[in-house]
Amino acid sequence: MPGFVGPAVAIRVEGLSKVFPGGVRALSDIDLEVREGEFLVVVGLSGSGKSTLLRCINRLVDPTAGRIWIFQREITGAQGAELRRLRRQIAMIFQQFNLVRRHSVLDNVLSGSLGRARLLPSLFLRYPAEDRRLAHEALERVGLRDRPAARADALSGGQQQRVAIARALLQKPKIILADEPVASLDPALRHSLMRHIEALNRDEGLTVVCSLHDVDLVKRYATRLVALREGRLVWEGQPDQFDRRTYREIYGTDAEPASNAMA
Amino acid sequence: MPRGIELSTRDDHWAKSMARLKSVAVDAVLLTGAGLMIELLVVAFSGRRSPAGMLLGAEDILDLLHYAWITAGAVVLAILWNLLSGWLGASPGRALVRGIPERERDIPWTHTLRGWFTILFIELTFFTGWLITEVDLPTFLTKFSKASDIVRGLVHPSGAVLHQGVLLLVQTIFLAFMATAFAIPAAFAISFLAARNLTRGSALSRLLYTATRTVMNLVRAVEPLVWALIFISWVGIGPFAGVLALWVHSVAALTKLYSEQIESIDPGPVEAIMATGASTLQVIRYGVVPQVIPPFLSFTIYRWDINVRMSTIIGFVGGGGIGYILKPRVDLGEWGEVGTLVLLIAVTVWLMDIVSARIRERIV
Ligand SMILES: Nc1ncnc2c1ncn2[C@@H]1O[C@H](COP(=O)(O)OP(=O)(O)OP(=O)(O)O)[C@@H](O)[C@H]1O
Ligand SMILES: [Mg+2]
Repeated sequence: MPGFVGPAVAIRVEGLSKVFPGGVRALSDIDLEVREGEFLVVVGLSGSGKSTLLRCINRLVDPTAGRIWIFQREITGAQGAELRRLRRQIAMIFQQFNLVRRHSVLDNVLSGSLGRARLLPSLFLRYPAEDRRLAHEALERVGLRDRPAARADALSGGQQQRVAIARALLQKPKIILADEPVASLDPALRHSLMRHIEALNRDEGLTVVCSLHDVDLVKRYATRLVALREGRLVWEGQPDQFDRRTYREIYGTDAEPASNAMA
Repeated sequence: MPRGIELSTRDDHWAKSMARLKSVAVDAVLLTGAGLMIELLVVAFSGRRSPAGMLLGAEDILDLLHYAWITAGAVVLAILWNLLSGWLGASPGRALVRGIPERERDIPWTHTLRGWFTILFIELTFFTGWLITEVDLPTFLTKFSKASDIVRGLVHPSGAVLHQGVLLLVQTIFLAFMATAFAIPAAFAISFLAARNLTRGSALSRLLYTATRTVMNLVRAVEPLVWALIFISWVGIGPFAGVLALWVHSVAALTKLYSEQIESIDPGPVEAIMATGASTLQVIRYGVVPQVIPPFLSFTIYRWDINVRMSTIIGFVGGGGIGYILKPRVDLGEWGEVGTLVLLIAVTVWLMDIVSARIRERIV
């Protein structure tokens, strides 16, 4: 199709395998392409390798084999400053929030900018005025404007995860990896949190790769779906193709969707 | 078969062989120990030779040869036990070393060869210990009167050294404090090199880890009194030598405590900071330091407490503090004055103990 240029490839994964020391094979020969602006949801049983896949993408886990590119730049094999530069483009949101518990909310948000901060001031928790302004703005966006000085562990789980989202914002990333971002939260809060991530995807055009358990959430937020089973990519499709039959294929014949979203 | 699986089975195979070797080594050491102790007891009770004279006399060479025979016998037994473990039950080495499949029969430990051997070994150790440490109960129970002078002095403290004692006690506490204060920055810096979870990165950092751990273990193994002797000839008799002696020992001890704390932190925040593209120093500052500060404080106060105890005796060899005037009074038999000083020390140590426990309670 001459002349037509689709969205750029944000993440390309080729032949990715991971064997943990001790012999657990968490990922086997995964090929995957994520285009810019997609909201890709990764599903699969517990232990199927979702976290490992996400953590290979920003090299928190070192792959055993295979290659990964972030916007055409290879991150597998990158070292030192090169690796840090690539990581700056990829923010991560964790199931357990992973805030610095003894630091204030504001300091936690500001730590998102560490990748571009000057070393010495950052070691004394000093940041440029511009980043401080951005931090307050980010807190405002996630609805925590009035609590910048609170200690992070004084907040509720939902608030902590919103701080983590503000931290991700401050990183000015192009990609967001979210590993079961709402699994530790009250079901009533899950949609409100997912909507914050959705807004980043829709309004800022950030590429999102998110692992989820909850079928309701999967169908509501994904623009595309991949399913892992025992470390292999076993299914790929649109959220509306994710029906009872595929569900059984992915999760095994004993599994039943927890809600009636599949009816 | 995928590549990774072959690789991992080869690793497993190697690890298993190493574990088997370790198990045989452990068994050989235990059996040699048992053999030597049996021999010692037999010799002692047959009355042919005193146990203390074992390495003296003309038959030395013969004896050495004979130790070698016992060892060789133990090695053979150990190998046999390991080979026949399916039939004899797992050997102690197999039970201690992890990583070998242990086919243990489902019977109570008192019915296994290992159980019997363990009981025999513990009893042997006890009776050998009795002989070697020359335990003498009759004397202990009948000759108390010889010590009554000292005890009388201790419970009738004399006021003569009270003033000097209190002054030196203050010096003792400061001595312990300075040693601890100097130890904090050194131990803090070194502990990051001695933490396994921070030193997995490169071959160089792993080497640094091993080197730091080894040096610190050696330093810690040398008693502060010995360090005091070294520093007395370095900087002269006086409290500063004591400060240096306790400092060296504290650095090693705190490094161990600090680094173990670093090893047990929650990796979550570390990963979150790493994922922002932060550099190693920033990861340590944000991911590690906030998590370890409260326990570090607690360890440091505990260490000060220990240093106060140690600094009361460091004066025995000339390292300053209250021990400096205690030693000559012990030598001269001035038991009343000794009583005063011992009382002062006891009260101080007791107070430090309470204070440090209170503060630590508040921190953690
Ligand atoms: N650091 C590790 N060391 C060894 N094995 C690991 C490690 N991390 C994960 N594994 C193993 O790899 C496999 C995949 O784990 P992973 O955490 O990626 O699964 P998951 O799909 O995220 O599961 P969950 O839904 O429970 O989070 C599991 O068998 C797990 O035990
Ligand atoms: Mg997971």
